[in-house]
Amino acid sequence: MTLALFIGVLVAGGVYLVLQRGMVRITFGFVLLSHGANLMLISAGVAARRDEPLVHLSDLADAADALPQAFALTAIVIAFSITIYMLALAGAGKGDDDTEDRT
Amino acid sequence: MVLPLVLSLLALVALAAPMLDRFLGRAAGWPLAVVFLLLGAIIAVDAPRIVTHGEDIEFSAPWMPTFDVSFNLLLDGTGLLFVVLVLGVGALIMGYSAQYFSRGKHADYYFLMSLFAAAMFGLVIADDVVLLFVFWELTTICSFFLIGRTGLTANKPAVRTLLLTAAGGLALLAAVIVMIVHIGTAQLSVILADPAWQEDPAFATTVGVLIIIAAFTKSAQFPFHYWLPDAMAASTPVSAYLHAAAMVKAGIYLLMRFSPALADNVTWNVALIGFGLLTAIIGALFALQRHDLKELLAYSTVSQLGFLVAVIGIGTPAALAAAGVHTLAHALFKATLFMLVGVIDREVGSRDIRRLTGLRRVMPITAALAALSALSMAGVPPLLGFISKEKLFAGFLEAPGPEFAGPLVGAVAVVGAVLTFAYSFRIVYGAFGGPTTQTKLREPSLVLLLPAAVSSIAGLVLGFYAGWLDLLIDRIVLDTRGIPGEVHLSLWHGLAPEVYMSAITIAVGVVLFVKREAIDRLLDRPLFPVTGVGVFERCFDGTIALGARVGDLTRTNAPTRHLALPVALIAVLTGAVLVGGIGVPPFPEPVTEPVDWLLIGLLVVGIVGMVIAKSRLAALALLGVVGFVVALFFFLLGAPDVGLTQLLVEVLTVVVAVLILRRLPTLFHPTSRARKGFAAVVALIAGSAAALGTYALTGRREISPAGEYFLREAEEDTGGTNVVNTILVDYRALDTLGELTVLGIAGLIIIAVLDSSGLLPGDRGSRVATFSGTAIGSATGNTVLARTVGRWLAPLLILLSLYLLLRGHDEPGGGFISALVGGAGFALAYLSAPSAAAAPIRWPYVGLIASGIGLATLTGVLGFADGSFLRPLHADVPLFGDVTYHFTTALVFDVGVYLAVIGVIIAALNRLGIEEYEVTDRGSMDNRQPVPPDGQAESPGGQDTADPAETTSVAGGEQR
Repeated sequence: MTLALFIGVLVAGGVYLVLQRGMVRITFGFVLLSHGANLMLISAGVAARRDEPLVHLSDLADAADALPQAFALTAIVIAFSITIYMLALAGAGKGDDDTEDRT
Repeated sequence: MVLPLVLSLLALVALAAPMLDRFLGRAAGWPLAVVFLLLGAIIAVDAPRIVTHGEDIEFSAPWMPTFDVSFNLLLDGTGLLFVVLVLGVGALIMGYSAQYFSRGKHADYYFLMSLFAAAMFGLVIADDVVLLFVFWELTTICSFFLIGRTGLTANKPAVRTLLLTAAGGLALLAAVIVMIVHIGTAQLSVILADPAWQEDPAFATTVGVLIIIAAFTKSAQFPFHYWLPDAMAASTPVSAYLHAAAMVKAGIYLLMRFSPALADNVTWNVALIGFGLLTAIIGALFALQRHDLKELLAYSTVSQLGFLVAVIGIGTPAALAAAGVHTLAHALFKATLFMLVGVIDREVGSRDIRRLTGLRRVMPITAALAALSALSMAGVPPLLGFISKEKLFAGFLEAPGPEFAGPLVGAVAVVGAVLTFAYSFRIVYGAFGGPTTQTKLREPSLVLLLPAAVSSIAGLVLGFYAGWLDLLIDRIVLDTRGIPGEVHLSLWHGLAPEVYMSAITIAVGVVLFVKREAIDRLLDRPLFPVTGVGVFERCFDGTIALGARVGDLTRTNAPTRHLALPVALIAVLTGAVLVGGIGVPPFPEPVTEPVDWLLIGLLVVGIVGMVIAKSRLAALALLGVVGFVVALFFFLLGAPDVGLTQLLVEVLTVVVAVLILRRLPTLFHPTSRARKGFAAVVALIAGSAAALGTYALTGRREISPAGEYFLREAEEDTGGTNVVNTILVDYRALDTLGELTVLGIAGLIIIAVLDSSGLLPGDRGSRVATFSGTAIGSATGNTVLARTVGRWLAPLLILLSLYLLLRGHDEPGGGFISALVGGAGFALAYLSAPSAAAAPIRWPYVGLIASGIGLATLTGVLGFADGSFLRPLHADVPLFGDVTYHFTTALVFDVGVYLAVIGVIIAALNRLGIEEYEVTDRGSMDNRQPVPPDGQAESPGGQDTADPAETTSVAGGEQR
């Protein structure tokens, strides 16, 4: 329940920023959206199981599903690389980071 | 084996042709002609078996066994006829080309012509419908390039030809698919023998119509006839070979090939006879209108192909025998005429019959050869064209359907033949008749005339000895109708109806020739309100315009227009699902912990702050806050690796963002109220949809079997206790390798983007500048603290990162996390340096990225030692005493991950923090001077970021 709410807030904030005109705000919105997506991946496991999936430390009956975690970890790094790419776009070229004509 | 041998030799010849051209120039045509003849001789060895014993030469090899598509080849009588055209006429044209072209290089020409010959050969021996289609398309492509190579003026005709014939190719593809699906095999001979053609008329008619469309586009039948005259933009040997003798016959071949299956289909009969005769008549009329000899010949080809199509549509054994004879006769006389028109064009410099006159006196041999061929085309005895024309007439009289059909079709055919007679004489008289004005012209060299002489005289010899062809034609009848033909070709065979038809044709034709001036006047007007090319161009432009109209809907650089729609649509979909209602099971256990609410509270504060923030720096700070909250949530959810990664990524994102933000205005663009409202509405809908979707669809079950398996077996399988890491580097290492590649490519793209467009200048409108020269503005002074801390912290971070890398398999850590920690170390070193130039981040980042991906891939290849890509190998390395170290190549893989990630981070730091360099000498690192740290001096190289060359040279220096 809290996870769903958390994701909802992230997505709402992300979409709002992505719909703005400045590339930096769009990038920040993208970061929020990727947070939301990553948490959604995690939520594909079972939010009730919250112990670390470390075999030698955790009670496996309560350990979280490791597979979505691996997905999310991968996704975070890819989102990071795309974020710095988008930031590079924001800082490239001339003028400022406006994505629309000023007319 | 003879078929694949000849086919592969032809393909080899195509590859060798440019080499021959390099040594011999235009004379490369001679060896090619010899090779064609030799290959023809190889086939000829087996020819008697085919024509006398009714055997086929077959070959089969698997090609795509899963789709039941094989490399099946089969040579029967019909195929043999077309092989004769491909290799025989091909040899003549190659010899002709060796003299026709100007001296010099024609490598592309010889390559494409040989390749076309190979494709056409493959087409007529293919016994698999997929193979047939492939060769069919290959001939289209060769034709496109051969037309297009002529020059700029040929561009549009080439494209028109390609689009039209390729559209026909699509019809053939559709037919192929329908046949494979319906009959269940791709083997052509099996398909043709299937009873479905008779039992299922709907299937037969569907395939028939598709085959007809394919054949009509290829063989230039109405309403697609216009491409053939259009294609005359190609050079004359190309026209003679592709657009008279061989490629346009591919449609005829296809129709003959499918005759056994479709000759009794009424749609097939009506369409072929109707459109064929219509094409024959209008082609001949157009030919009578034209003054350009080549264009005239093109329309004459259209007309003759019309006759062939119509007679195939009749479908009786006699009709198909006629089609076989006329195909050969037409190839002989039409190739000759094209070659001779080329000769005239070359010698006189014109192909216009209004300017050519009386050439018979200066070029008597050319005139005689042309006359011989034209007479054959006109159907005058004793030439082969006469015999084939008679056979056509006899065939037309057998037209299926009501009683009057035969005479009616026969009558129309006679009209077409009369017109043929008229334009044949128009060619000869136009060029060679009349007073001789250009008396200085001379006969061209006999070598140039030799190929034309061969085909022209062949038409005469075969007229007298037509009986030589009987066996071949009999065999063709057997192939196409299933009954042995009883064909006896001869100049005279009694007073049959076709003899009278021939007599009428010749008599009326002579009258038309005598009245030629009246006819010219009569026809000297547009026959149709539209031209084929005009209609095509209108359709073409219309399609492009329609595409532009559709594209206009999204043609904008503003991301909002692209992003809002899909987001809204996804939300609407979610709404629709909710309205429809879905059954959701209850949660197995409570999924909410009280502490979660605290995080939500923090998150809302951060997000609201980001939404209303006007200052870029404030938004960035809040983004960091949100990132930390998310990371905390990951920890709470039992994902320490993910949380750590998130935390580190957050730090590095802020560092990179700061490098960009200092190049941008302090405040965001002002946003209009309407835009705010719109964005807010879309955002709320999307947020609600995401929340509801997550709530309804996740967490309502026990752990998945896969998750269960990994938890239970990971240590046993891989020797690692950190299950997430074992998944990353062991179970699903291929995913990780893919991710790594994406990451590396992102790094390279950043470099490419900055190379091409450069960065915005830094510190614009900076308040720092006002403090320049004071203590506050001194970078060196201001970084004392950071430098002092960084001096021991940065190496520590690097060490920590190595430790995390090594322990990753068992404890939180691993390649990604350790690389991010290492990257943070570099970021700290960069930030604490007084100037970017002094920062110790000069690493060959592209090399790091490449070696990371390379190392990971190499480790994957090592896995083959144990049977599969990316399977980790294990070894216990004894250290001292009883202590052993468990080594696994998964660790090496993780090192690859480490290198690639750190490469990308260093790339970003280097390329985005590059401002302060002064580039004095292109590409040389040593000449790069740090700017005085007080920020007073503006560096020209650094400021001039609009110049990509400068930026590139910096990058170049970086790599060395």
